[in-house]
Amino acid sequence: MALLEIQNLTKRFGGLVAVNDVSFSVEPGQIFSLIGPNGAGKTTLFNTLTGMYRPDSGRVLFRDKRLSGLAPERIARRGVARTFQNIRLFGAMTVYENLLVGQHPHIRYNYFDAILHTRRLTHAEERAEARAHELLDYMGLADRASDLARNLPYGAQRRLEIARALALRPKLLLLDEPAAGMNPQETDELKVLIRRLRDEREITLLLIEHHMRVVMEISDRIVVLDYGKKIAEGTPAEVRNIPAVIEAYLGKGALEKQP
Amino acid sequence: MTSRRPIVLLGIAAVAASAALLAWPRATWALIAVLGVLFGCLSVRDYKPARFVIALALLLVVIPTAGTHNTFLFELVTTMGIFAAMSLGLNIVVGMAGLLDLGYAAFFAIGAYTWAIFGSGQASEFMSGSFPLPGWPYFYIFSALAVITGALTGTLIGLPALRLRGDYLAVVTLGLGEVVRVTANNLDHPINITNGPQGITPIQRPPVGWLLKPLEWLGLDSSPALAYSIFFYVLVLAVIGVVVLVNVRLDRSRFGRAWVAIREDEIAARAMGISLTHTKLQAFATGAAFSGVMGAIFAAKQLFVSPETFTLLQSITILAMVILGGMGSIRGALVGAMAVALLNLEVLKSFSDFLVHLRQTGFVLNLGIVSYNFANLSDQIEPAKYERMIFGLILVLMMIFRPSGLIPESRHRLELGERKKARDAAKGGSHGAA
Repeated sequence: MALLEIQNLTKRFGGLVAVNDVSFSVEPGQIFSLIGPNGAGKTTLFNTLTGMYRPDSGRVLFRDKRLSGLAPERIARRGVARTFQNIRLFGAMTVYENLLVGQHPHIRYNYFDAILHTRRLTHAEERAEARAHELLDYMGLADRASDLARNLPYGAQRRLEIARALALRPKLLLLDEPAAGMNPQETDELKVLIRRLRDEREITLLLIEHHMRVVMEISDRIVVLDYGKKIAEGTPAEVRNIPAVIEAYLGKGALEKQP
Repeated sequence: MTSRRPIVLLGIAAVAASAALLAWPRATWALIAVLGVLFGCLSVRDYKPARFVIALALLLVVIPTAGTHNTFLFELVTTMGIFAAMSLGLNIVVGMAGLLDLGYAAFFAIGAYTWAIFGSGQASEFMSGSFPLPGWPYFYIFSALAVITGALTGTLIGLPALRLRGDYLAVVTLGLGEVVRVTANNLDHPINITNGPQGITPIQRPPVGWLLKPLEWLGLDSSPALAYSIFFYVLVLAVIGVVVLVNVRLDRSRFGRAWVAIREDEIAARAMGISLTHTKLQAFATGAAFSGVMGAIFAAKQLFVSPETFTLLQSITILAMVILGGMGSIRGALVGAMAVALLNLEVLKSFSDFLVHLRQTGFVLNLGIVSYNFANLSDQIEPAKYERMIFGLILVLMMIFRPSGLIPESRHRLELGERKKARDAAKGGSHGAA
């Protein structure tokens, strides 16, 4: 049974078809990559999956239930977390608080519990705090816990964004260009992290990535988009040799010129 | 060992300021000194019990004692308290949730009319029954009811906020705030509910007969006027206490975090499973509830309400308190309210009086080269008349030199001990963290 099934998904902006009749399915435990040249519709696809955009046609199934048409917060509550291409942290909150916000749907007490400071609140908050600390340690952010998120260096901001997404306890994690702006060492750490997330936390990963070395090394399966259309799908070894992919990346005629 | 210096200094300052206020109960500077020490109690780190005792002594002993010699002091501090509750309420909406609301006085009006209509003969205009309802116990019931009517109106006015942001939201709330005022102004026909522009008076107050005896024992003037001054002062103080407590608790709960999260980034907040609808309406309702209860108290205190009290200017004054104090900061909202109310009600007035005094006595200011006879000072120059101008100037200066307010928001930080505790909890109950 597929964890995520995308069926004939189409998203238009006026005359532009940003995502054009795309179908694929992600199996549980896979590291699944979405690649393609700039403007291929990868981020639009992410935004449509997470409810930021409404699809014009087609549907998305997550654990056999329909996701398409739900509001972003509902989709998040179903167990789909994401990070953003241009990091969106809660800048004026501390690192630690960012991780508490990430657990929002799991912290269960009502308004009056908060006003009366009931035991239910204390318990829920204690559990959330413990979990935030666990994530701080896991992501190597423990000594930054009290810093404001906006004061973190770039690499730490990327890690915090992933940590915050993990706080949501997702089954599926969407990472939008996680290696962007990272140096080679950070990129290597990221690869290790992504594998650990899958192996230790049983999270299925769907990533958009431009960094080909990362994609080819860690992906179980790859879908290639170009001008909104799926042009190829397969394992890294398969995708690498598909002429349409090489053409999309290097331009027409690139194949003939190759020795 | 950490230094005890701050708390000792605070204690000395408290004694000095108290002595000054008791010696000169009419002196503005002495009141400012006492308020300064109160502010110090809010800002000094640690020594929680000592700070608490100092603040309580100032609020419950020093100010009331000075107030018996100068009843205006009660009036002043009570009004400051009413504004403080409103600025705390608006701080939730504007400061924490980042929703610019320019119609906040509307909730104050709703609260005030909730009691004014039923606590006077007004209700008999449109329903049967014997009105006014007696102050005991109905004043208290209606004050509680004002919390609910405030919250309901807040939710109602919050509805458009779900689709609007920033300037657009400000314009819509401004309009809705005016709608409430204009409705109050015109609802004297066809059915006379609010008595229109004439306003409603007299409004019942809760009986304070029980206060007269203790006043007599203390050897004080046992007039109802003084008893009411003390009663409203203590009542407002108690309500402020509750409001601050609720505010702090919400701020540190998932609700407060959700408010700040949607202020910081709506899209990211939604991706974390935060519902914008719930979060925004909760902010509006909570903020409005604080204002509602103070409205009911205000109505009883003033004995009179009319639509004129709830103008746009009132909303803007409260907003100025929040901005001056520091958006998103609870202590800031309190200090902002104190500062603005003090400036409006007392400082500018006493400065005017001072200038008038100089003019009448013909004081000559001699600076060697320049000398000026104050007898020539035009009687047009009266700072109280330029209240708004001076106020605007202060705001401009604030925005230049301290744009995040007197006491900027500081998010809840992890203390060292707390961190260890939480880590132990994580180790001890790893199943809870899984």
